[in-house]
Amino acid sequence: MTAAVAVQGLTRRYGAVRAVDGISFDIGAGEIFGLLGPNGAGKTTTLECVLGLSRPDAGRIAICGQDARANPRETSAKIGAVLQAAGLQDKITPREALELFRSFYPRAVAPDGLIDRFGLREKQNAAYDTLSGGQKQRLALALAFVGDPQVFVLDEPTAGLDPQMRREVQDHIRAMKDAGRAVLLATHDMDEAERLCDRLAVIAGGQTIATGTPQELIARSPSASLEDVILQLTARS
Amino acid sequence: MSAALHLTGLSLKLNFRNRMAILYGYLFPLIFLVAFWAIYRNDPVPLALHVGQFLTVTVLGGACFGLPTTIVGERERGVWRRYVLAPVPHFIFVVSILAARYVLLVTAALLQLALGLAFGMPLPLHPFDLWLGFSLVAFAFMAMGMVIAMLVDNVPAVQALGQCIFLPMLMIGGVAVRLESLPAWAQHIAAFFPGRYAVEVLQAAATGTGLSHAGFDFLALGLIGLAGSIAAAGMFRWDKSFAPNKAWLAVALGMWLVVGVLAEMQGRITVQSAQDTQDVGTSRNYLAVKPGPASTPESSWRDVSDADYDKIAFDRLPPDTGIISPVSRADEVPDPVILPELDRIRDALPGWAPGNVADPVQRARNLLMIAAVPDILQMEQVERFVPRLVFARLQAVIPPRNLPKILYWIAMHPDDGDDTAIHQLQAFGLPDVTGPAKPARGRIMLYAFKLLGRLTGHIPPL
Repeated sequence: MTAAVAVQGLTRRYGAVRAVDGISFDIGAGEIFGLLGPNGAGKTTTLECVLGLSRPDAGRIAICGQDARANPRETSAKIGAVLQAAGLQDKITPREALELFRSFYPRAVAPDGLIDRFGLREKQNAAYDTLSGGQKQRLALALAFVGDPQVFVLDEPTAGLDPQMRREVQDHIRAMKDAGRAVLLATHDMDEAERLCDRLAVIAGGQTIATGTPQELIARSPSASLEDVILQLTARS
Repeated sequence: MSAALHLTGLSLKLNFRNRMAILYGYLFPLIFLVAFWAIYRNDPVPLALHVGQFLTVTVLGGACFGLPTTIVGERERGVWRRYVLAPVPHFIFVVSILAARYVLLVTAALLQLALGLAFGMPLPLHPFDLWLGFSLVAFAFMAMGMVIAMLVDNVPAVQALGQCIFLPMLMIGGVAVRLESLPAWAQHIAAFFPGRYAVEVLQAAATGTGLSHAGFDFLALGLIGLAGSIAAAGMFRWDKSFAPNKAWLAVALGMWLVVGVLAEMQGRITVQSAQDTQDVGTSRNYLAVKPGPASTPESSWRDVSDADYDKIAFDRLPPDTGIISPVSRADEVPDPVILPELDRIRDALPGWAPGNVADPVQRARNLLMIAAVPDILQMEQVERFVPRLVFARLQAVIPPRNLPKILYWIAMHPDDGDDTAIHQLQAFGLPDVTGPAKPARGRIMLYAFKLLGRLTGHIPPL
């Protein structure tokens, strides 16, 4: 069966620095794959390469069997993304943003359904800069859904959110998996990674230093938590 | 297509929600218009001779500040980075932003023109040419705005770089200060700025002979716009973390240089004054009754009779308050600034040799030339007072019985006689007129009609 996301030998250099150095992984439909690692490990660069925001120096990326470099438009239509920066204008309203992004995609979801699903009905006509942090993140998730994607790429989607909102966002991520979508999740939150991800890749210095399910990684040091394991792995690398 | 329309529409909506954008995009141009009106309030026709200037200021402001501020601001916020993820050709985003900016510029210009009309400005003579010229100016300056947007990383830098282009263009680039008011060295510098060509194109469409006589200016703006577009495309970046290849800047600035050198080579640098060479038609245009085939024309001015005056449609003459052949009102007081200039003309009239030649027709024709030339040169405040001095001199040097006949004769035969007096006006402090004398002959005809009308009672007296 074709992987929803297939990354092989991904390399990205910035001058003499190898931000990503030969990373490979596959993500199947209905799977949440987490990228873990310290700041500067190469997580965001990996996501940017998958999204087409950064051009790899070597390696291959395929989305639903299609080469991302050869078919950028076709593959980007299959991806929904939540980036660290919202990328919206101050005065745009949630409804306008959804209507706008809907016009970008060939197989788009009606904004009304997303407005209800993400609890934005009351704020649908409010300016973006008047929304709370949680509402902004709900909108970011709604925008990721607007193109009815097969793959979700999420860059620290719960960073800076209160516990209640974090839980809500995590529920939405689980819903992506339940709908048979592949999810590539970069996170610092070990608890989130343990509870959400089916498999994890630990990255440090642009390289994969460990992969496996959360349970497999924890099993490397039975008395420790996932966080301890990751810290040990990254410190060793 | 749907994406482009959505984005264009949304860009416009967001612009109207931004107070600063409204201030810069609409209020600022209107303030400039009012300032022009206040400065040139003594013009016989309010604002008409400054259409090119105030419209250029609007486009320049939108291009140097509005467009790059929007693009850089959105790029800083990651909006463009977000757009790039969408399965839409990237040029759609650029085209949509430019289309929205074009709409903003056009609406700002229409507002300016509407306010200008409310101030008494006449309608532009060539509206289609004005739209075409405005679009070309917008193209050239928006390309420049895109170059600015690609060069700088943040909004404050847009303001800094924008001012570096905006202010020199206004002051010595022929935009806010007219070229003819600039010293020669500044006129040379202005040839290397696009603002000069923008003003020329727009003014030609508003009060001149249209774009057909602004070929070089049109070409200059086209080349500058094309080079700016190429440079902006070469430096394009949707994320500020990418460094632009600044070598492309040489393409944009190089074209400014090429256009300036071309202007130098073609001798287009020094402008003494903008000439209004609009065709005023022939004497037949001002006849109420067209002469039939059986009618016999007079063979001499002496044969002109009172009945001939009645055949003239004096109401078809351009109004005294217009741009063409203006005449000041009797109670109108000249600005003290121009009094020395008028005194010089009045003092020089008696001793001016062409005004004392033996042939009374040629004498009158020569004297009328003194009124015609300031009109052609659009010597704003002076031009409408000079005819009064000339009329007084004509009445002093030609017997009252003959003057109407001679004026009629000159008006009906504008192409007769000698026109070399056009090059003998230094005594009055008037600049030399380059190019053919035909436009001056046309104005002589109009002023002959106007004085004749006053002498015969067809037009209220001076």
